[in-house]
Amino acid sequence: MSIAVKNITKRFDLYPALSDVSLDIPESELIALLGPSGSGKTTLLRVIAGLEFADARDGRIFFHGRDVTDLSAYQRKAGFVFQHYALFNHMNVYENIAFSFRVLPRSKRPPEPAIRERVVELLRAVQLEGYEKRLPTQLSGGQRQRVAFARALANRPEVLLLDEPFGALDAKVRKDLRRWLRDFHDSTKLTTIFVTHDQDEAFEVADRVVLIDKGLIQQIGTPSEVRAHPANPFVTDFLGLV
Amino acid sequence: MAGSTSIQIHKRQPIRATADSFSVRALLIGATLVFFLLFLLLPLVVVFQEAFSKGGTAFLETFRDPYTRHSILLTLLIAVITVPLNTIFGIAAAWCVTRYRFRGRSFLITLIDLPLWVSPVIAGLLYVLVFGAQGWLGPWLREHEIRIIFAMPGMVLATLFVTFPFVARGLIPLMQAQGMKEEEAALTLGANGWQILWRITLPKIKWGLLYGIILCNARAMGEFGAVSVVSGHIRGKTNTMPLHIEILYNEYQFASAFAVASVLGLLAIITLILKTRAEWRAEQELRASNSATAP
Repeated sequence: MSIAVKNITKRFDLYPALSDVSLDIPESELIALLGPSGSGKTTLLRVIAGLEFADARDGRIFFHGRDVTDLSAYQRKAGFVFQHYALFNHMNVYENIAFSFRVLPRSKRPPEPAIRERVVELLRAVQLEGYEKRLPTQLSGGQRQRVAFARALANRPEVLLLDEPFGALDAKVRKDLRRWLRDFHDSTKLTTIFVTHDQDEAFEVADRVVLIDKGLIQQIGTPSEVRAHPANPFVTDFLGLV
Repeated sequence: MAGSTSIQIHKRQPIRATADSFSVRALLIGATLVFFLLFLLLPLVVVFQEAFSKGGTAFLETFRDPYTRHSILLTLLIAVITVPLNTIFGIAAAWCVTRYRFRGRSFLITLIDLPLWVSPVIAGLLYVLVFGAQGWLGPWLREHEIRIIFAMPGMVLATLFVTFPFVARGLIPLMQAQGMKEEEAALTLGANGWQILWRITLPKIKWGLLYGIILCNARAMGEFGAVSVVSGHIRGKTNTMPLHIEILYNEYQFASAFAVASVLGLLAIITLILKTRAEWRAEQELRASNSATAP
């Protein structure tokens, strides 16, 4: 599913987090929002998910050509993965992943065997078979983040939004999960936006990179384009290309 | 043994720069212990001792008295009404001030604490002023034959006022510390507000909530001042346990007064045990949600 962001502005008190940002993401792209902390990249992701609402009335968000600006996060149902996992600690892995089915109205809820099948399938995809009964607190950081991925994917979202998904993990796990994400995207072609402040991560994983600073998009391009032709001093400086 | 060796080590080289010398620590711990024994533990022992001063039969005799029985039932009834109501109000208030940013938010937090720093007697008088025979709504209430002051509704209102802060105060710091990432996750997974409350937020805060409910209940049963003002002390009608104790005491029925007091004391001890346990679990809860965010 394609995503279009049109003229989004967002202020926190008086400080502008996003100033008139527009962005087109074609279907099946894996795109990285890259920038320093406080640049507005996470805010943009949250506005797309519906966790934050843009200020100006003329700013719009489209999912596959459909205007979703006035839909709440639970109606948009974008798969969202948080930096600190945000797993439900009182539920085991199985119930965490099954959550998006549990909250469906009875008429739309798949029968339990179908849910179980989906959960097992997802656990296999994230290489955590047999972990159904574990509680989140009994898992390592990397395992928790993989459960969070499985949970976000359970009800087949059409877009996947990742907020610094590897930010809290150590270097080795980070590398493995990065590669896993790239492979996963290649096999599913799920439109994916992920936020990071780590340029290596962005350049290694993403099809295109969006550089953001001070609430403005500074440059959009493939990793090689951006490296070869930095658009302005910020990009040159941020990428350390001097 | 282990204690004495560790003290010697501390004497020679304090573990932390902020650690006090042995004599200072001994003095502080000693003073706290003496205070605790003299002012907290001793009175509790005396209450039970006095309660049984005329023997077990006299103790039991107290509870055959219909007025005593009625006061216990009334106390329980008021608690049964006020505690659930204040639980709901408390959750709503804590939700409101931790989940939303709005003008007057910090004022609202201060307002929640109001019953803690206003004397309960004043709270009682406020209700008399509003609902009493000479009060603002007095004539209207008389016309419709509704009795609030010197009747149970007034006592429920006074108790509601006095016990309002406990649940909210227990929850606000906990909910603030836990943040709302899990709620946001639930939202993106398609849960609506109601489902988030029942499936995510309440399980997250359940021990903190229980802690608040226990404190609220203890205060509801023990409240004297506010209830005393609005009750009218009608025996067998508007006397709760604390009020009944006072009447018995004033009539020189010391053994009976202490017998009823011992029941309240027992409730306090049970409350303390439950509270400690809930507090401990609430801490675990918070640690779990914090450790879940660490790598």
